[in-house]
Amino acid sequence: MRIEPEITGVLIELTPMERRLLSTLLVQYDEMVHDQLDDGDLAGDPALSRLFPNAYPDDDEAAAEFRRYTRDGLVERKSANSGLISAALTASSDEERLTVARDDAEHWLPALTDLRLVLAERLGIHQDDDPLPENELADVYEWLGELQWALIEALD
Amino acid sequence: MVVVAQLVERWLVVPDVAGSSPVIHPMFVDSSPVLSSTDVERDTTTETRVMPDVPWQTIVWNDPVNLMTYVTHVFRTYFGYSKPEAERLMLQVHNDGRAIVATGPREEMERHTEAMHEYGLWATVDRVS
Repeated sequence: MRIEPEITGVLIELTPMERRLLSTLLVQYDEMVHDQLDDGDLAGDPALSRLFPNAYPDDDEAAAEFRRYTRDGLVERKSANSGLISAALTASSDEERLTVARDDAEHWLPALTDLRLVLAERLGIHQDDDPLPENELADVYEWLGELQWALIEALD
Repeated sequence: MVVVAQLVERWLVVPDVAGSSPVIHPMFVDSSPVLSSTDVERDTTTETRVMPDVPWQTIVWNDPVNLMTYVTHVFRTYFGYSKPEAERLMLQVHNDGRAIVATGPREEMERHTEAMHEYGLWATVDRVS
């Protein structure tokens, strides 16, 4: 992975393996955020409860109303954000560096965050000092963090 | 970087552990509606809620996942806070567990909260106490 700021955006260089990894995660993520619309039962998956937090933890009625008015739009925008990364990966060959416009890169950030939120849930990270397990999934989690960190550096 | 030699296909799927139930942060569990005999009290609540002059706030809560630079970045780009102010709020979230990032009319605070959810930040709406 190499990321460099450019005048109009960011240059992102990923290995073919990193590209496949990111694509796989994004496909699963997109399914996840859409699937929850079908049953609406987020309690079945704590990761979804983190992607769509309860805005009114002390007021069930207001919480339900907030959900009703925001959920579809949030799903749509979360899906669009992840779709931007997928599209950039699909539109370029494995060897090519990705030239991502500044505005697009801004939409990469929330999608990368959501991927990390889901992985953190799967890894059992709930508190600041929870240790990261030593496994492949944790490597992916850390890699996504590095990618996001480097993107922010390039954008700031 | 990552060892992706064996690409596990379903990384984001809930682990299928028989007999176990997912651990959900208390924050995310809707408590069952409490309909007490104090209907008068409920009415008061509703009344207060529609009053336009009562200020509301958007609160962002700490989480162990989001990078400090990301939280600062979001506060700067979304709210337009200066870098020092965005960093101050980010540190408050990190150290105190939460920070009030905006105050104002309820609808506006809900819009901010929705935006924070899009950014993957854990935000709630509350009346200014």
